Amino acid sequence: MSDGISGPIRRSASVRRLVAIGVTLIVLLSPFLWLLQMSFKSNDLILQFPPPLIFTPTLQNYASLWQGAFPVSFVNSLMSASFSTALALVLGVPAAYALSRWAGRGKHAVSFAILVTRMAPPIAFTIPFFLFYRWIGLLDTVTGLVLVYTSFNLPLVIWMMQPFFETVPPSLEEAALVDGASTRVVFLQIVLPMVTPGIAATAILCFLYAWNDFFFALILTRTNARTAPVAVVNFMNYEGWEWGKIAAGGSLVMAPVLIFSLAVRRYLVSGLTAGAVKG
Amino acid sequence: MSGKGLVDAERRRFNAIALAPSLIVLFMIAGLPAIYLVVTSLTPFQLVNPGSSTDFSSPLRNYRLLPDDPRFVNSLWVQAKLSFWGVLFQVLLGMLLALLLHTQSRVVEFARTFFLIPMVLPPIVVAIIWKLIYTPDISPLYYVAGLLNIAMPSLTSSVDFALTAIIIADTWEWLPFTFLMVLAALQTIPDEFSEAALVDGANRLQVFFYITLPFITPILVISGMFRLIDSVKAFPLVFLLTGGGPGSVTEVTNYYAYLLAFDFNEIGYSSAVTIVMLLLVVAVSLGVVWMGRRREAMA
Amino acid sequence: MTKKNSSDKSAGLSRRTLLRAGAATIGAAAFPMPVIAQTKPFAGVTLRGASFQHRFFTLLQSYIPEFEAQTGMKVDLQLSAFPVYNQQANLELSSGGSAFDFVNVTFILAARWVAAGLLANLDEFTGDPNLTPAEWKPKDFVEGAQVPYRDAKGATYGYSWEGGAMVMGLSRMDLMEKKGLKIPKTFAELQEVCAAINGTDGVTGLVSFQLHHWCLPPYIQGFGGNIFRNPPTDIMPALNSPEAVQAVEFYANLLKNYAPKGVLTYTEDQARQALLTGRSNIFIHSSAWITPILMSGDSKVKDTSRVVRMPAGPVRDFPAANSQGLGIPKNAKNKKAAWEFIKWALSPEISMRLVKEHGHSSVCRRSVIESEEYRKLNTVNGQDLGALYLEVLGLPAKGENYMAYRTVKEFPIVGDVLNKAFEQVATGQLPAQAAMNAAQEQAIANMRRAGTAL
Repeated sequence: MSDGISGPIRRSASVRRLVAIGVTLIVLLSPFLWLLQMSFKSNDLILQFPPPLIFTPTLQNYASLWQGAFPVSFVNSLMSASFSTALALVLGVPAAYALSRWAGRGKHAVSFAILVTRMAPPIAFTIPFFLFYRWIGLLDTVTGLVLVYTSFNLPLVIWMMQPFFETVPPSLEEAALVDGASTRVVFLQIVLPMVTPGIAATAILCFLYAWNDFFFALILTRTNARTAPVAVVNFMNYEGWEWGKIAAGGSLVMAPVLIFSLAVRRYLVSGLTAGAVKG
Repeated sequence: MSGKGLVDAERRRFNAIALAPSLIVLFMIAGLPAIYLVVTSLTPFQLVNPGSSTDFSSPLRNYRLLPDDPRFVNSLWVQAKLSFWGVLFQVLLGMLLALLLHTQSRVVEFARTFFLIPMVLPPIVVAIIWKLIYTPDISPLYYVAGLLNIAMPSLTSSVDFALTAIIIADTWEWLPFTFLMVLAALQTIPDEFSEAALVDGANRLQVFFYITLPFITPILVISGMFRLIDSVKAFPLVFLLTGGGPGSVTEVTNYYAYLLAFDFNEIGYSSAVTIVMLLLVVAVSLGVVWMGRRREAMA
Repeated sequence: MTKKNSSDKSAGLSRRTLLRAGAATIGAAAFPMPVIAQTKPFAGVTLRGASFQHRFFTLLQSYIPEFEAQTGMKVDLQLSAFPVYNQQANLELSSGGSAFDFVNVTFILAARWVAAGLLANLDEFTGDPNLTPAEWKPKDFVEGAQVPYRDAKGATYGYSWEGGAMVMGLSRMDLMEKKGLKIPKTFAELQEVCAAINGTDGVTGLVSFQLHHWCLPPYIQGFGGNIFRNPPTDIMPALNSPEAVQAVEFYANLLKNYAPKGVLTYTEDQARQALLTGRSNIFIHSSAWITPILMSGDSKVKDTSRVVRMPAGPVRDFPAANSQGLGIPKNAKNKKAAWEFIKWALSPEISMRLVKEHGHSSVCRRSVIESEEYRKLNTVNGQDLGALYLEVLGLPAKGENYMAYRTVKEFPIVGDVLNKAFEQVATGQLPAQAAMNAAQEQAIANMRRAGTAL
């Protein structure tokens, strides 16, 4: 485990440690890489063992996806994730600011209610949402998905944004207030610009959660608003599995997530723990 | 003074206006559904029988049926097994991984990012990945086992391995989470502690057990609790890998509730099952908040 | 029902007079009759339908543009994976939705949907000569395939587009001959043959797939038991009768001892692959899946395959027969347009084209199955598969309807319990008697919970 030479403060990693890290990384990522390489193989190659180490990658799986209904589902995912993120930010950012500046007694209760909302199993929401949407006609619409995703994204925004607001020195605000500016102006013109990075990180996390959803989309969409994760499962056919398409679809669904989550890796923990633990 | 009072009043008004829309929307999209769920759980509501949605003639019928429903009782057991082993492996392996990567080298810091991949993947894609690995015809795992002349059982369809297969996949997916949490905690340990101990002639293991471990224990507990809460949501893995089978070996409560509601159309009964789950989640969440506060108080 | 006219001429005549009379009376009604034949009656209608992905629809989609050109409507046909479709359609219909104008009436859900009144009565369409010409012949559909889409009064709620008749496929007659084995005709012989073949050349004795409540009942009935006491009238489950227990034990032993590892979670596709490649010798399942072993390019066992009636139990043989139908949801918005589509998709012409142009054999029209072209295409190694298919598909309509257990609307509940219990036995978690006793209790409890009076 340790290098034993460099003393307690490990300024640099020993070769042994680096090798161990490398091996662990390869082992850990191999399942993921297996899916990725499969998406570039023709169906015959997929079933070929031993797997060829070097093969001519083909884009046929991706091409056949692009000719089907998959792009539509991709757009649905994009729209529902973006709109729900926007809605959650518009509602949640001012609320988070108010909470961060609020020393009232109800703060803990409100905070806890929000935490539970985030932690509740999705099925608790799907039953009521399904019946309500059925009645009001929101089943199988992007609007319906946006609302549902807001139910878990809004608490996330309120949790995540509070620490960012707490880093803004109150003296700045007070100075502006003494100059006669209204709280609204202070919030919009002084505080908000200072927490832009926080808003960006929060937005990305919201987007990812909505994008990753499978359960709500499975129950609340039919065909029009079907999202990419559900569409991928659809390649698991009654008559046989289209492994190439499944791999390509899976790779496409995870692509935006991989790109975005690298940008917000610092906040992943606070996002997952609804801010209950500062990451 | 009066100026200050005015500012305070204005601030309060702003706070109210800023909070109100969020609270109203949250109440509409989370509070009302929760209330509805409770109400529905008191009826024998079935989709095909619309009249049953307002039948409150025996409100506790569903809850009375629960203890005698072997599938429900079994699902709690399965959930308990999945949660216990999943959380245990994730916390232990996450800690080991964090210790391995707790070092200040550029290369390692760069590598850390890649360790996060399983956690950020869409859960359904994780399920697909493991489906590939557990499907004998196309799986490299089975091919390698064949080369080594090991007779591999079909993991997802054997009673002894199906749940293990799900635990493995779940652990793989969430290992990075505990790893991140522990790593963050490790980086807050002041170096002087271990230095002083080493100077006093303690060996590395002793340093770990007497200094590092006590320091990161609260984080281990908290991350374990978060994983416990989230393990109740394990859906895509069960949905895609086993469908709750073989028999009911991998039928967790969440999946059973889903089947009841959306396959058997027993909305009322399913709501009762869901309420039970919700109560468990609330209980654990309270524990998390309490732990978190204690830790803040200690720090 | 319509009066059957013996000749086309009189049919045409009566249709014309009816048309005239109809037009006179309907003049004031809301339904606009096509004034001239050239106007497209459904111009501007978007017809929305849904089903699970199946070769039939893939083929049909190449013909749909013709239908759209004839009628002026646009057909939006949504195909999903089997479990996803079933769940969504079931939710949609059960909650009174109107998202779809026509749907696939999945066999296992047919009884539930028909009994709950979720589908439109199609007799209203077939009984109206303005809507359905006599040459469409609703009676041409194999009676056995139509049974699931009828209610207690005999009204029809769906027409079948796909028939499945359980037959036995053997892929390795070469091995059988080498060992001097005959094609098994009884359960006992089946077990002997499986035991004799299993392990030879790495071949397993048989293969099956995970839908146990489809594969298992023929054994239960063969031993003299049933799923319910006397369906459809007496629907008390009969899962722990001595016969049912015996059958569960028998079939579980077959899978435990003579089938590939992991057979319990095999999909149909995996089971078919095992047969196609000659890795398994016997597969007892719907004909639609077994014929490819004799025809497809991937088949490695074309010359060594036989397809026959499944073995008989002590009572006799009860090969399962099922079908998938097209129906119209009760609350559909465009019922007439939907009927127009169903009528076209299941017309004798289209069925025949599917046979001729694509070799698609699982159609349900008797006239097509008995036609010369069909026979030619479906005779392989001297075996007339069409005749066998027709024979088995028609069985449930002859005398006792032994498939009635599947048309009980509670079957999905009981079938699910049966599935789980069988898995427990086949994986050695429980002995057959104990598992089935528990299943019986569970089935009764679940039915009562769902509001069934027993």
